[in-house]
Amino acid sequence: MKSSRLIKRILAIIVIFGLVLSLAACKKKAAEQPQQSSQNKNIEEKITLTFTHMFTNDGSAISDGFYNALNEYKKAHPNVTIKQEALSHDTYETKIKTLAAGGELPDVFVIKGSMVDPFYNNGQIAPLNDALDSDMAWKNSFVEGAFDDFKRGDKILGIPIQVQPTSLIFYNREIFKEAGINEFPKDWNEFKDAVKKLKAKGYIPITAGNKGKWLVESCILSTLGDRFTGTDWFVSVRDRKGAKFTDPEFVNALRAIDELVKMKAFNSDINSLDNNQQRTLYYNKKAAMFFEGGWAISLVTNEAPKDVLDATELAIIPPVPGGKGLPNTVSGGAGWAFQINAKLDGSKKNAALALLKALSSDAYSRPMLEKGGFPATKVTNYDESKLSTLAKKYQQLAKNIKYVPVYDVQLSPGVIEVMNSGLQDMIIGTITPEKLAQKIQQEYEREASK
Amino acid sequence: MERGLFKPKSRVFIGYLALPVLWYVFVVVMPLILALRYSLYDWSGGPRMRFVGLSNYAELIKDTDFWLSFKNNVIITLLCIVGQIGIAFVLAALMTTRVLKFKEFHRTVIFLPVVLSAVVIGFIWTLMYNQQIGILNWVLRAIGLESLIKPWLDDPKIVIYSVSVPLIWQYIGFYLVILMASLQSIPKEIFEAAEIDGADGFKRTIYIILPLLADTLKVSVMLCIAGNMKVFDHIYVMTGGGPGKSSMVMAQYAYNNSFIMFKLGYGSTISVGILILSLAIILLSRKLMGGRTQ
Repeated sequence: MKSSRLIKRILAIIVIFGLVLSLAACKKKAAEQPQQSSQNKNIEEKITLTFTHMFTNDGSAISDGFYNALNEYKKAHPNVTIKQEALSHDTYETKIKTLAAGGELPDVFVIKGSMVDPFYNNGQIAPLNDALDSDMAWKNSFVEGAFDDFKRGDKILGIPIQVQPTSLIFYNREIFKEAGINEFPKDWNEFKDAVKKLKAKGYIPITAGNKGKWLVESCILSTLGDRFTGTDWFVSVRDRKGAKFTDPEFVNALRAIDELVKMKAFNSDINSLDNNQQRTLYYNKKAAMFFEGGWAISLVTNEAPKDVLDATELAIIPPVPGGKGLPNTVSGGAGWAFQINAKLDGSKKNAALALLKALSSDAYSRPMLEKGGFPATKVTNYDESKLSTLAKKYQQLAKNIKYVPVYDVQLSPGVIEVMNSGLQDMIIGTITPEKLAQKIQQEYEREASK
Repeated sequence: MERGLFKPKSRVFIGYLALPVLWYVFVVVMPLILALRYSLYDWSGGPRMRFVGLSNYAELIKDTDFWLSFKNNVIITLLCIVGQIGIAFVLAALMTTRVLKFKEFHRTVIFLPVVLSAVVIGFIWTLMYNQQIGILNWVLRAIGLESLIKPWLDDPKIVIYSVSVPLIWQYIGFYLVILMASLQSIPKEIFEAAEIDGADGFKRTIYIILPLLADTLKVSVMLCIAGNMKVFDHIYVMTGGGPGKSSMVMAQYAYNNSFIMFKLGYGSTISVGILILSLAIILLSRKLMGGRTQ
């Protein structure tokens, strides 16, 4: 008796709760109804797009371009409300992966090249070929190779947010002169000599911050590896056409880094600094050079003391003796791209596609380029005088540069995790280059067997 | 009627407990069941899942990296039992003496780190360990012990100890409060009698406080094991399991597999592994400590 009364009471509470909720929902619907009918008269309906991205308004080149383009889009599409969520880079990466795992991706978002496969295989993103082909002017406005990181066969699975090198050498000309090096080394042996000379003068030859685990792989190994193996090897590995990580060329590339470590070319706390902290040693003139991507150009311009900035020159990793790669390549590419949720359809999809278009327009690219960024589209009418000295130096260098793939953008996340933590292991001397190559190959084969 | 005054009717109990229990089921039991389910799949997140039976578990047993992180968990746990409970015990014993002044103040200061966010603590200690600007190396240099300066978070041989220090430091206050509470329930007469008998300081600690606190200490040890088997945020902030895998702990390894390598199925398998291993160790420690004495 007692228990049945209790159950009744609980049921009553649940029913009341449900009623209240549904009433609230009805009210909301009722409120929306008249609005919708009036919209039908105006043809343009109200659309809300959720947009999660990693452009905090921090005054960087890319965020300037982004917000400029977004504001223009809002002006042109007053019927579209954009619900934004802006996160910092690392947080964003975690968040978007979590959202994807829960099947709750926002309408518009940013993806990394390595996320394309899992997202696409799960049906969460769709190819953008139709949209691009229906507007050839849009498709042709991109720089060569911009889509490479997001192409699977013929399918294009993302609109690149920028195209930039991930491996440049920033060096202090004055320190080099002091060590008796008047010109940047022409090949790898000269480079090692230079390291020795800098070391002898009491400088840290290369400052590096590999706490995030990606720096040594993205900014050094991707280009250095290409010098040894040539790009064909990488394409063969990526497409699983026979090449192996245990091939002697790739092992030699790992050995070259190992050799630098043994020469004590790096600061001893390389694995506990991050890439922002690595530059401090350079700014304090304790280190002669550092390896980082194009993004560092605007950072150095803003952060470095004037004398260091004036002495800073740019170079790329010199050719290695006997290497199969071309001497003028640099690892680089888009890395990240805009994409829309595969679930979108109808007017909502059109609005989202229009947003992608706006985010690769001149309004997006020009402010970015003028601030020293690297837009993915060709920009013709920009103000050259706005470029910083370092950005101009890069424009000079870029004339001869050809991009080759960055490992962590194009290989699977599993292989990359093994490679990246393995590189940390190798730097602290707990694993040999040969062993590391084997470990990477093991993970690579394990994935293929699944 | 009279009975109701002292013991509420069972439906009142159920009524009050329903919400928290439902909440507990929702946030603890459900995820656990889901993790068990996911651990049987090859799953990269999203709708595509492939049933693989127990092969994830077979892989886990052979996974040397997982066992390495388990070993690190055990090291951290042992260090924390000795560090946290040991230091807290000494401090609690000091608090009962008349030598120590400003007890309120000390208690507050020692308890303060407990309420700080692990992320903040990890970040602060990373700065303290920093080779160029860190206060630790600065102090060593200032007192002429330059030879002791090490790359604290870079040397694979010591990094596990380096990351344990902030963990120990943070939770001393927590165990201090537990032990203090238990100490205060010991009747004053016992201490007075001990004093008259001439048992002071060290002797009093060994012969009176320690046996009387034995049960509380056992509970503390269990809490300490449970807490440190799932330690994550400090390590995540300070080293991310690095350099290489030398400070990898099980929770970090599960996180890396799930969210960096997109192996959510295997990540769930690792979390189930953590659960099993923690339960096993807690049961083992209860056996070793002789279970409940009453």
